[in-house]
Amino acid sequence: MSAAPTLVAPGRATTQDRPRKPANVTRKALWLVVVAVVVAAFWGVDISWGALWDMPGKLWHYLGLMFLPPAWSKLPDALSATMLSVAMAWFGTALGVVISFPLSLLATRGLAPVAVRWPLRAVFALLRAVPEVVIAVLMLSVTGLTAFTGALAIAIGSVGTLGKWGYEAFEAVDGGATEAATAAGASRAQVMRWGVWPNAAPEVLAFWLYRFEISVRASAILGLIGAGGIGKMLIDNIQFRVWDVVGILMIVVVVVTMLIDQISGTVRHRIITGRWEVPVVTALRRRSARAARLEASPSILEDDSRSGTVG
Amino acid sequence: MSAVAAPGASAARLPGAGARPSRPRRWPARVVVLAVLVAITAWSWVAVDVDLAVIAHNFSNAQNTLVQLFQPDYSFFGETLQPLLETIQMAVIGTAVGCAVSLPLSFLASRATNPNGPLLGFVRTVMNVVRSIPDLLYASIFVTVVGTGALSGVLSLFLFNLGIMVKLISEALDGVDRGGQEAALASGATWLQADRAAMLPEVAPQYVSQTIYVLELNIRASTVIGLVGAGGLGMLIDRVRTFYQYHYLSLVILEILVLVLLLELLSSAVRKRLVR
Repeated sequence: MSAAPTLVAPGRATTQDRPRKPANVTRKALWLVVVAVVVAAFWGVDISWGALWDMPGKLWHYLGLMFLPPAWSKLPDALSATMLSVAMAWFGTALGVVISFPLSLLATRGLAPVAVRWPLRAVFALLRAVPEVVIAVLMLSVTGLTAFTGALAIAIGSVGTLGKWGYEAFEAVDGGATEAATAAGASRAQVMRWGVWPNAAPEVLAFWLYRFEISVRASAILGLIGAGGIGKMLIDNIQFRVWDVVGILMIVVVVVTMLIDQISGTVRHRIITGRWEVPVVTALRRRSARAARLEASPSILEDDSRSGTVG
Repeated sequence: MSAVAAPGASAARLPGAGARPSRPRRWPARVVVLAVLVAITAWSWVAVDVDLAVIAHNFSNAQNTLVQLFQPDYSFFGETLQPLLETIQMAVIGTAVGCAVSLPLSFLASRATNPNGPLLGFVRTVMNVVRSIPDLLYASIFVTVVGTGALSGVLSLFLFNLGIMVKLISEALDGVDRGGQEAALASGATWLQADRAAMLPEVAPQYVSQTIYVLELNIRASTVIGLVGAGGLGMLIDRVRTFYQYHYLSLVILEILVLVLLLELLSSAVRKRLVR
């Protein structure tokens, strides 16, 4: 076989010479466990899978009811309900920032003693473990559910994540500046202000914005269990089966969420890198650059569109 | 100090103090940003109708509730087992199906593995839409379409996973070094073969790691989607809440807490090993 100079089928010949793959028993055992768990779940769950059969037809039917056409006349109502949801998210996040900022400083290694640090971290972990909706349900039973309590639930939920991200960012700060500040005789508060904060600020500000994006989603969800805003309007219309209004509300939810993500993402990018980069503009610029390149040498069209790494 | 100051003896001030560049004037921009932030916050304050008096009033009425909440009734544990199991089952099925379906979709949604521009744009747009709808909203719609129970829960978890997984994995694919793929294509492989042989192994560890992460998210989500009727612990929460059985409610929440924390421990341990 080594004598055959053909390029046609060397694969079969070489398999015998190739060293065998080492048998990975643990990996196989793990796969077995995973498969067993999945099969057990399918087998044990109380679902009549036959219902899936007429599922696509039903889905088309309902999608038709929702979007052919959606109730455009409800657009102003939907938008004002969305504004309430966004306000809830903003207020909750702002409150969360105000609460979590000092707490995360107190949970940072080097800035606070262990006796303060670990209990705070435990509280953050606990708050992160409870889903926001559950916090809202708890608050509902104590204070009654309004847009304000919805915002409070968001605030409590965001303290968990913001606190953790905060102390992680503060701890990641390069030690040089803090050391210099300490050497120059700064107090703990001064070390935080001049050694830690300037280094961590961009990242922390970006986190805050990112958390706002999460809160926007959360506030829509909180509405579904009664906290007002777009979610409340959605669940009411779903329950009364006014599908064309549900359609317009879903469009509004999707568009507003995406829009806020885009704006917030652009601002975050500016905070981190110091340059404005608007996604749409960048995409257009990239496209026109590629077009110019293709015009210059049309022969590379194929390669260029497939992979930029052709040497 | 004096040695440094000596050459410019005529100046009483620090040497070179006049030569130092003045700080750039950044405060006008900062004032504007701050003003905008304060304005938005003030607007949201008015919009959510902040009223501490009402809270205080309700709070004083809620003494009894609070007492019950802090005394979970453990005898209720037996009744929570079935919903707890259902929650886990829904999460496992949702994760398994969602992650399996998301693999080919992520290959379609990455510029590195899908040379077809229009198809790429289409898949990405659809996935963006799928991702921007919250899980609880899917659940409430499926509950009306297929009825209450675990099936609507599984379906909404499936879509929820699809959105997250396709985004994470297609972004991982975008970042892969494409030398291997190019070599495979050059040696005559089809795109499918090249992606299978050169791209899939590159993202496999991330795929497994994200699957575990998604399972964690799913457990969390599947405890709450029952609130709108999609099965699991959420349905139980809804039931005990409507009957004001707060000592049961606190037990259920305690269980959710334990479940989520356990899974978080497990997942972070496994993922740490995977990434190494």
